[in-house]
Amino acid sequence: MPTLTQEFTKGLWKEIPPFRLVLGICATLAVTTSAKNGIGMGVATTFVLVFSNLLISMLRKLIPRNVRIAAFIVIIASFVVLAELYMQAYAYPLYKALGIFVPLIVVNCIILGRAEAFASKNPVLPSLADGLGIGIGFTISLFVVGAIREIIGHGTFFSVPVMWSSFKPFGVMLKPPGAFLCLGLILALMNFISSRQKR
Amino acid sequence: MIVVLTVICACSALVLAYANKVTKAPREYQLLKYVEAPSIKAVLTSYDNDPIKDRVVLKMGKDKKGRPLTRNIFLAKKDGKIIGLAYEAAGMGHEGLIHVMVGVNTAGKITGIRITTQSETPGLGSKVVEPSFTKQFKGMALSDSLNLSAKGGKIDAVSGATVSSKGVVAAVRKALELFPKIKKEIG
Repeated sequence: MPTLTQEFTKGLWKEIPPFRLVLGICATLAVTTSAKNGIGMGVATTFVLVFSNLLISMLRKLIPRNVRIAAFIVIIASFVVLAELYMQAYAYPLYKALGIFVPLIVVNCIILGRAEAFASKNPVLPSLADGLGIGIGFTISLFVVGAIREIIGHGTFFSVPVMWSSFKPFGVMLKPPGAFLCLGLILALMNFISSRQKR
Repeated sequence: MIVVLTVICACSALVLAYANKVTKAPREYQLLKYVEAPSIKAVLTSYDNDPIKDRVVLKMGKDKKGRPLTRNIFLAKKDGKIIGLAYEAAGMGHEGLIHVMVGVNTAGKITGIRITTQSETPGLGSKVVEPSFTKQFKGMALSDSLNLSAKGGKIDAVSGATVSSKGVVAAVRKALELFPKIKKEIG
């Protein structure tokens, strides 16, 4: 039986999404054009993930097995709409920047995946730790991808110029191919480190 | 099975309806702040308040289906006193309605206008958004000179875009015609 800390920390390296689980790729590729957008998306996803995990784990004995997916989706969608409303009310520029990808958190595989694979089978506290760990892991990943793409593709970090003045930004990094390149290289690097550790 | 799903859906609807109600005012405020604020700032002068916060919503007339129409009036204040108003009006251009934000001071004189939405021909009619055209309205009141020069007024139409220019003039005139009524409502 893994401890709470283990449930929490597995989301930060061992099962860090989207690099290890390779889930939730849509959001990862689409919104990480800057570090700030990456964090915004990560925080919104974490919010939804933690609360849907919490609620689903609380209701896990009440929800009949045959309609569990439908029930999960309703719960997840409700939290997504909540996040969307509050974002619109208090963080309008971020809401505009993320656009359609905020409502699309509903179909983010990580959230449904955690609900189905973890929260529906475990008590409340481990589910909470799992949601928080995976959510923070996802936020870190989006931040890293966003930061790399912003620095190379735009020459800035959190909108502050960080490169030397003669630096010519690689515009391709801000486009979809750049997202794939970046994600692929990070995946390769992580696999390399893991295989080194095993030896 | 059906009971559980129904209960979950009902709870979710309840929570969302509540959240929708709570966030309605701030959401409207943010939308106005990021979408309308630039034009409001451009048409009002020397105020020290937040015109979006100090807006009043007036019911003015009815639409074709008989539902009441509302209009946002943005108030410019200085030292707590109203010094001007800004509100939108629309006029028919060449390709569709041209919406114009008009700033008016308490004497009924224009402090500035700005086109907010238009779909005029790019490069021709769309030139009505340029300051060289819109600045002509500054300081004018509802009079005969508030018209295109071809009609005896003092506004020079954008060359090659008479219809679009006419639409802007019509919108501004409409706005000024509403002014006495709005002034009375606000007091």
